[in-house]
Formats: sequence, structure tokens, C-alpha cells
Amino acid sequence: MISRPIVAAPLAGLLLGDPISGMWAGAVLEILSLRQLPIGASRGWDTGPAAVAAATAALGWEAGPEALLVAAAYGVAVGWVGSWSVHGLRHLNARLVAGDAAALESPMRLTGRHLSALVLDLLRAAGLTGAAVICWVLLEGVHGVAVPARAGTVAALVILSVVSLGLGVDVRMMARGRRVWRAAGVGAALGVVIGLWLR
Amino acid sequence: MAALSRALRLRLLLRSLLVQASWNYRTMQGAGLGFALIPALARLCRDDRAELAKSLRRHCGFFNAHPYLSTVAIAALARMELEGVDSEQVERFKRAIVSPLGSLGDRLVWARWRPLCSLLAFFIFLMGAPWWVAVGVFLASYNAVHLWLRVWGLRLGWREGREVGRALMGSPLRRLPDRLTIPLAAVSGAVVPLLALALGGTAGIGPLFTIGIALALAIAGYGRPGLAGRLAVLGLLVGSLAFVILGISIW
Repeated sequence: MISRPIVAAPLAGLLLGDPISGMWAGAVLEILSLRQLPIGASRGWDTGPAAVAAATAALGWEAGPEALLVAAAYGVAVGWVGSWSVHGLRHLNARLVAGDAAALESPMRLTGRHLSALVLDLLRAAGLTGAAVICWVLLEGVHGVAVPARAGTVAALVILSVVSLGLGVDVRMMARGRRVWRAAGVGAALGVVIGLWLR
Repeated sequence: MAALSRALRLRLLLRSLLVQASWNYRTMQGAGLGFALIPALARLCRDDRAELAKSLRRHCGFFNAHPYLSTVAIAALARMELEGVDSEQVERFKRAIVSPLGSLGDRLVWARWRPLCSLLAFFIFLMGAPWWVAVGVFLASYNAVHLWLRVWGLRLGWREGREVGRALMGSPLRRLPDRLTIPLAAVSGAVVPLLALALGGTAGIGPLFTIGIALALAIAGYGRPGLAGRLAVLGLLVGSLAFVILGISIW
């Protein structure tokens, strides 16, 4: 589970010298990816490379939520590309372990092919992550545009809306009929917010 | 039936961690199941390479279950093979066990436990804990259940053998997903106002505005998450942006 955004992004941030920004990017991506249930042959966006890409893009997001918004969007885009690479790998795996009947009769050959698939996945994810980081570094050359006034506020509201709506849909799907408990959670946290404000 | 030797149990458990390594559209986890069963099959067919090849090929056919509960099937199949159950019954068992394992694991782990651990970690972070504490809480809580499920599944599968489907039906684990919906709903509700406070502080939005937005978003997002909810959130967003862009101060 180190490929989950809430783990991979802060760890990538730590390597890059800013784990807090990585944590923020990872948390937003994590919430956006909650509804992806890897059931059967379903194929959600690839969270590991997405998290590292978002952590790279989020470096120094203390400048404002706009950087976090851009980072999350970049992470989702990389994750979406990743999902297509997973699709390709699954076809390749079919040829590797399901195409050659003789390979399935020998423990040594089966083990070799099974573990080869693991190595291929590692190479796929590493290649995608590396490409995503390089692309971001190249993009940063044009990133230094002047940020319009109030862009941070707009970005904060967009992130909040997306996260709130995403959580609403997810909780409806995963915790149907628990409105009272949802309301209790919202109320408790609002109490904390108001308490902090009054203090 | 004697207990599984500790060494064999450990080998089956460790191999179950890689059951999805060669996941593919044709046999799904089939090769992974064959890979995981190699130690048990090798013990059974110690002197008969042809029988080993036949068994391996049979087990590398279609199989798909929740990866954490695949140990239930692995242990039950190992026991059936060691008991000499005929191959047709083994195949029938494999086909029958796929759905209960997938259904239980998906509802328990993917749809409840993982979101709960993720949101709990984010909640702890939003409450002011250091990032590494939040990450540690996620990894420790998630993997405690993950590893327990694998070990529990291995024991259950070996104990019950071909009757493991019936044992799963009566397992207290079946009621757990419904119980987890309570903390999941509460934590997901608590995250939005705290996130609003954190983002609002960074963007320079005042607390009164933040509280209002958070409350409205929570009601709109949780109350009507369908099309009406989307429109409500969109309206709220457009309205908020209008306030911000026009420079109207309400805080």
C-alpha cells in the first residue's frame, strides 16, 4: 500500500525536500481515488505514478492553493495515462503466462514468468513516473506566469468543492443510510473550526 | 487432518502476497494461484513430475478472488490436493469459491476499510499531527487488517477444506462491512470543515466565510450527491466565485 497517494506523495515530497506539500497533494488525490474499487477487470487511474507526479508539481504549495490545484490535476492526468499502460501490461501478461501451455507445467518456468510480470510492472511504473517528473520539470519553464489576484481563493474553493462532492458520492456508495453519522462528523468538525475561530 | 507445517504455511502465505503479479485479462489471477500452490503441489508430487505438471496446469486456469482472501482458496485447494480429492471436484470448488471471496473482500477492504484508513489519516493530519504520523497511522491500521485477513484466510481454508464456503457464510466477517459504515460516514463528514479551514487559511479567506462554505458544501455534497447535488455544488461554487471576484467582503 505504499503506492496509495496518501503514502507515496509525502514520501516523494520527503525525497524532494518538501513532505508537507506532498502530503497535501497526496491527500487530495487519495480522496479523488476513493471511489475506484479494483473489482474484477476494472481499471482505475494508476495512483502510484500519479502521486509522485503530483508531489513534484506541488513543491512549495505554501505559495497558495492554486499550486495544489495544478498539482492534483497533473497527478490525475498522469494517473489516467498510467491506467492505459496497465491495460497494455495486462495484455502482455496474458501472452506471458496464459499463452504458452508448456510454461505452466514447470514450477521453475511458471515462477520465472510470474515474477517477470512483476518486474515488467515495476519498470512500467518507474518509466511512467520518471517521464512524468521530467515533463513537469520541462513544463515549469512556462509555469512562471503571473498568478492573477484572488487565484488562491478560487483554487481553494474549487478544491473544496471537488473534494466535498467526491466524498458525498463515495459515502453515498459506501455508507448508505448513515446520514446521522455523517451529520455528526460534520457537526463535530464544525465545532472544532468555530472553537478555533473564537479562541 | 494434520495441521499445515509451519514452513509450508509460511511459504503459502508469502506466495499469496504475489498472487496478482501476473494479473491478465485471460486467466486473471490463474498463474498467481498456480505460483502460490507450488510448495503444496511439490510436496504432494515429490516423485511424479508428470502429475506435478498436470496439477500445475490445472490450477493456472481462470481464477479471480479478492487478493487478501485468496489465502482461503489457496489453503483449501492445498488441503484438497493433499487429500487426493478428484480434479473435477477441485475445479468445481474453484469456480464456486470465486464469487464469495470477491464479494466479501471487495465490500470489506476496498469499499470500507481502505477509505476509512485513508480518511482517518487525512483527518489526523488536518487536526495538526505531523505528516509522518498520518502516514504511519494509515500504513499500520490498513496493513494490520490486511495481514490478519491473509493469516485468518489461510487457517480457515485449511481447517474447512472444501466446506470453506459454508464457513464463510457463517463468518462474523460478513457483518463487519455494515458496521464500518458508521465510522466511515463520521470521519468523511469531519474532513470537509477541517479542509475548508486549512485551505481558507492558506488562501486568506476569513473563518466566517470558510464555515459557511464548508457547511453548505457538506449539506449539498452529502445530502444530494446525485445530479441535484452536483448542481447545488456548482451553484455554490459559481456564487462564491462571484463574491470573490466582485470583491464583496462578508468577513
